[in-house]
Amino acid sequence: MIKSDRALHILNMATAALLIVATGLVFLYAPTERTMGAVQRVFYFHVSAAWVGLAAFMVTFVVGIIYLRTGNPRWDRIGHSSVEIGLVFTIMGAASGSIWARPAWNTWWTWDPRLTTYTIMALIYVAYLMLRQGIDDPNRRARFAAIYGIVGFISVPITFFSIRIWRTIHPVVVGTGGGDAAQGSFAMTDPMRTTLLFSVFTFTVVYVCLLANRVRLEELAERVEHLKARLLSA
Amino acid sequence: MPDTVNYMLLGYAVLFGMPLLYVLTWWLRRRNLEKDLEMLRTLAEDKKP
Repeated sequence: MIKSDRALHILNMATAALLIVATGLVFLYAPTERTMGAVQRVFYFHVSAAWVGLAAFMVTFVVGIIYLRTGNPRWDRIGHSSVEIGLVFTIMGAASGSIWARPAWNTWWTWDPRLTTYTIMALIYVAYLMLRQGIDDPNRRARFAAIYGIVGFISVPITFFSIRIWRTIHPVVVGTGGGDAAQGSFAMTDPMRTTLLFSVFTFTVVYVCLLANRVRLEELAERVEHLKARLLSA
Repeated sequence: MPDTVNYMLLGYAVLFGMPLLYVLTWWLRRRNLEKDLEMLRTLAEDKKP
C-alpha cells in the first residue's frame, strides 16, 4: 500500500499528532453536556470508531470487486486487513456505546434495532475471518473472501439506516430522522460539532495508518507462506 | 449535572486500550513471522545441493 518506509513513518507521526489534538479537543475544548455530564464526551470517539468500522467494511467491499476483476492479490491483502481493523473499531464502538448507555439509558445493553443490526454485522465479519482460516489455497481463499466481503456488505447500510427505519432508543447524531423513542439526544453546540468532525477525520487517518501498517504485516506473512510452500514442494 | 466521570474514564480506557492491544498483537505476530522466515531461509540454504 505505502511502499516507502519514510512515507509510512511520516503517516505514523502525523496520526499520533492528530490523535493528541483530537483528545485535547474532546477534554479541553468541547463543553460538558448538562443532562449526561462527563460521559457525553465518550460520544466523540464512539461515533468516530463506529464510522471507521463501517468505512473499513466498505473498503473491503470495493477492493473485493477490484480483486474479482483483476485477480491481483494486493487487493485481497487490503480487504483482509481492512476487515480486521474494522472489527476492532466496531467492537470499540459497541463497548464505548455500552458504557455510555449505562448512565444514559440505565442499562448496559438492549436488543434495539441499531444494537441488534450492529451485532449481526460484527458477527458477519468475524465469520469472514473464520472463512479465511478454513481455506488453504491462497487463490481460492482470496476469491471466496472477495465474494463474502461483497455479500456481507449488505449488513452495513442496514446497520447505518436502522435508526432511521425502525423505532429505536438509539439517537440519530448524523443528519435528521429518528423517532420519539430515542433517548440520550442532545442539542449539539458549535464546539461540540467541531470536535466531532475533527474526531471523525482523525479516526479516518488512524484507519489509513493502521491499514498501511497491517498490509505490511500481511505481506510478510505471505512471504513466509510462499517460502514454506516452496520448501514443501522441493 | 450527574457525576458520570467514572463512566467517561472507563469509556476512554476502552477506546485507547483496545487499539493499543491490537497493535501489540501485530508486534508479536511480526516477531514470530520474522523468526519463521529466518528458520525457513536456513532450511532452504541447507537443502541447496
